[in-house]
Amino acid sequence: MTSDVPVAPPVEDPSYGQIVWGQFQKRRIAMASLFGLLSLVLVAVYVPLFASNKPFLWNAGDGLSSPWLLALFDRNFYENQVDIFFNTLMVFGSLAAVPVAVVFRRSRTLRRRPRQAARQRALLAALAFVVVAFGAVNAAGMQQEKTVFPKLQAQLEGQGQAVTAIYPPLPYSFRDGELTETRLPASLAHPLGTDNAGRDVFVRLLYGTRISLTIGVFAVALYITLGTIIGSIAGFYGGRVDALIQRLIEVVICIPSLFLILTVAAFIEDRSIFHIMIIIAAVAWTTPARLVRAEFLRLRNLDFVSAARAVGYREGTIIFKEILPNAIGPVLVAATFGVARAILIESTMSFLGLGDITVPSWGQILNTGRTTSIWTLILAPGFAIFLTVSLLNLVGEGFRDALDPKLRR
Amino acid sequence: MLQYTVKRILLVIPTFFMISLLIFLVLNIAPGRPGATGGAGQGESQNQEQQESYRIFKEQFNLDKPILVNTRYTLDADDARELLVTAYSIGGQASAKDRIAASDALSEYGAYLVRPLVELLDDADPAVRRKALDALVVAGQQPFENDRRGDDDARAAARDANKRIAAENQTLKERRLSADADDADIEAAAEAWKAWYLGHEDRYTYTLSEQVEIFFLDTRFAKYWGNLLHLDFGVSTVDRRPVMETLLGKLKYSLTLSTLAIIIAYSVAVPIGIFSAVRQGTRLDAAITVGLFVMYSLPTFFTGTVLLKLFTEGDPFAVFPTGDFQTMTSDPMTTWTLTKDIAWHLVLPIATYTSVALAALSRYARSGVIDVIRADYIRTARAKGLSEPVVILKHAVRNGMIPILTLLGGLLPSLVAGSVVIEVVFNIPGMGQYLYSSINLRDYNAVMAVLLASSFLALIGILLSDLSYALVDPRISFD
Repeated sequence: MTSDVPVAPPVEDPSYGQIVWGQFQKRRIAMASLFGLLSLVLVAVYVPLFASNKPFLWNAGDGLSSPWLLALFDRNFYENQVDIFFNTLMVFGSLAAVPVAVVFRRSRTLRRRPRQAARQRALLAALAFVVVAFGAVNAAGMQQEKTVFPKLQAQLEGQGQAVTAIYPPLPYSFRDGELTETRLPASLAHPLGTDNAGRDVFVRLLYGTRISLTIGVFAVALYITLGTIIGSIAGFYGGRVDALIQRLIEVVICIPSLFLILTVAAFIEDRSIFHIMIIIAAVAWTTPARLVRAEFLRLRNLDFVSAARAVGYREGTIIFKEILPNAIGPVLVAATFGVARAILIESTMSFLGLGDITVPSWGQILNTGRTTSIWTLILAPGFAIFLTVSLLNLVGEGFRDALDPKLRR
Repeated sequence: MLQYTVKRILLVIPTFFMISLLIFLVLNIAPGRPGATGGAGQGESQNQEQQESYRIFKEQFNLDKPILVNTRYTLDADDARELLVTAYSIGGQASAKDRIAASDALSEYGAYLVRPLVELLDDADPAVRRKALDALVVAGQQPFENDRRGDDDARAAARDANKRIAAENQTLKERRLSADADDADIEAAAEAWKAWYLGHEDRYTYTLSEQVEIFFLDTRFAKYWGNLLHLDFGVSTVDRRPVMETLLGKLKYSLTLSTLAIIIAYSVAVPIGIFSAVRQGTRLDAAITVGLFVMYSLPTFFTGTVLLKLFTEGDPFAVFPTGDFQTMTSDPMTTWTLTKDIAWHLVLPIATYTSVALAALSRYARSGVIDVIRADYIRTARAKGLSEPVVILKHAVRNGMIPILTLLGGLLPSLVAGSVVIEVVFNIPGMGQYLYSSINLRDYNAVMAVLLASSFLALIGILLSDLSYALVDPRISFD
């Protein structure tokens, strides 16, 4: 306290989060699955680098340009908001990742509180940057003519003009097919062949990662938030409020969820994946609500809550700042399994033709496979769903075991 | 225990009521107009007959009524005037959307509009008077009574009443003025209507008790529940047959499929679960766990599609038929060949169904037994020298199976409702496929019936599993 000489930080007791993370790291399958999931996320973010029919560089004698870069935020090309969002993440998220990494490295030697504060600030700033960029990109509303560059190149070269073009390794669009190249078998040019509309199956599969992950993560975030709030209120106040919420939960869990989801989905015209997220969330919120309620019932009579009351905290502060952090563990485990379930539900919906028909969702690709009997169209998306769901379930199991004090290693 | 049981059973009633309310609201608030797909419905160009048949269609299915509460007895001449002015764009331009909404309202409000419209016959604007006369013809039409219910006498009485109503409706329809009617005709018609109204005034004025009744009971939800109490799920808007009848017809397909699948799943899953619990930690256990995990993560529709394509198409494996419940043929089959035929058709769907249920059940069975094996009384049993099979089968399994037996209750709804995905993939005409086709056709009564029936079964299933839990495990007490 009196010395200005920097000292090595004293050995701190590990925080609860560090204990759980340490336990998680000791489970090799779970760790491997976590890395697998991270690579799926990276694929989802960076897929335009591998697959796009826009050339990175294009020179047809009229100067050098980059149609690929211009198309990233082009609503004529990537019609879907999800794709625009992931493209924003790819460009601006990568930019923001650099200063965040620097902050994380520099803060390693700090004590826990300032370290956490610094890292939190950095992450929030990066998030804000990406969100602002997404807003700006949307406001700019870039739109260009629809040019199919590989065709244009062939045409120009046919006329004897020299064209320089550098394409991504898979120069295909996930949406527009080549009608002369339908039902091709797997080859070097098309790793998984093409479908009945002449679209490259592998490219569609890669872009489908974006859809599945978005639906899984956002639907779950939505219903976890909803369920946590409802469950905290029920558990904290107890009595009549609790009884009422309990009855409501009973009513919702009695209705077979897939039936209800399919019915509501069918009645919405022009379904987008945002509708699908909301429908899934509206049915699934009961699970976190019950978990949080049970935790609150257990925690609300403990001493630290009485202490918080005695200090004179407001009820909102007690619920969300004092009790909730202690009750959130089981909810986060349920959230991991929930993402897997949401992905399964979404693919079931699109398999039955009740999803968003404009996006290359895995379930929809599989359904095309069923009706056209093209084997790659059945096996590839099936494997993709299986892989994603398995990884999520394995991470969830590892996480659950890591939280369980009885299973500590 | 008795007290708890009675309390739980009584709770079923309000819960079911709330479930029906929730489903009803979801279905009725959802956009899209049932029955409007086939010509009749939207648009102004349709002729009077189409309009009339669509109005009767809505009346039949109670779609002309408000959803939850009815305040239409408060309609007065001003409201009616505004509707007429908007619907026919009298003296100004209303937007197409407003016009359609107003003319829908004119046809839906029915009897509640009669008194306000009669008052409008003295309106200052001749155009309003003229349109009020037309609207009266529609509003004066009385709805028919339900002649599908009760014993023969009740049905005959309802049919007689309907004949009288039809005759009265017909005389009112004849009062419709032709387009070229002159002022004298209009004047005469107005007088005739006023005279008619004086003769039927009590039908169109409401006392306070009648108003309360209308407020709560003359609504879609109340009418639906009224039918439900008679076990009447209404008539399909697609094929006009009672939904209940169709549902019962579908039941045998779903029930056969899912009962067989669940019996097989249980009889395979329980031994596997016990085996891998006893061999916990060995390589075999690890292999079984991984295998079950894979099965658990495979989506149903994927397993189904792969099995279907693998074993029904292509040369080497094309052994099984491509879906359906049985061979469609007009030849009469003996019971034995029919059974063989159905069994042959059901191999793949049952395999799919089983693979899904099996994985979850074995995991439950395994963890159930593992929990018990650690218990003190198992150590005691071993210590007193009982042989290992006796310890496991007599002592451990009995208690270890409690959780998975109580799961049976939760399976009740899926037993009856089947699985949408499996029935669609294998083209089995059960309840799941019925729901799927009904939601695509917007057959509200059918969708409502399937949802309600399966929710009711889920409710009963939860009740049964809670009660059975208390029955088989004496440690649980509710007093």
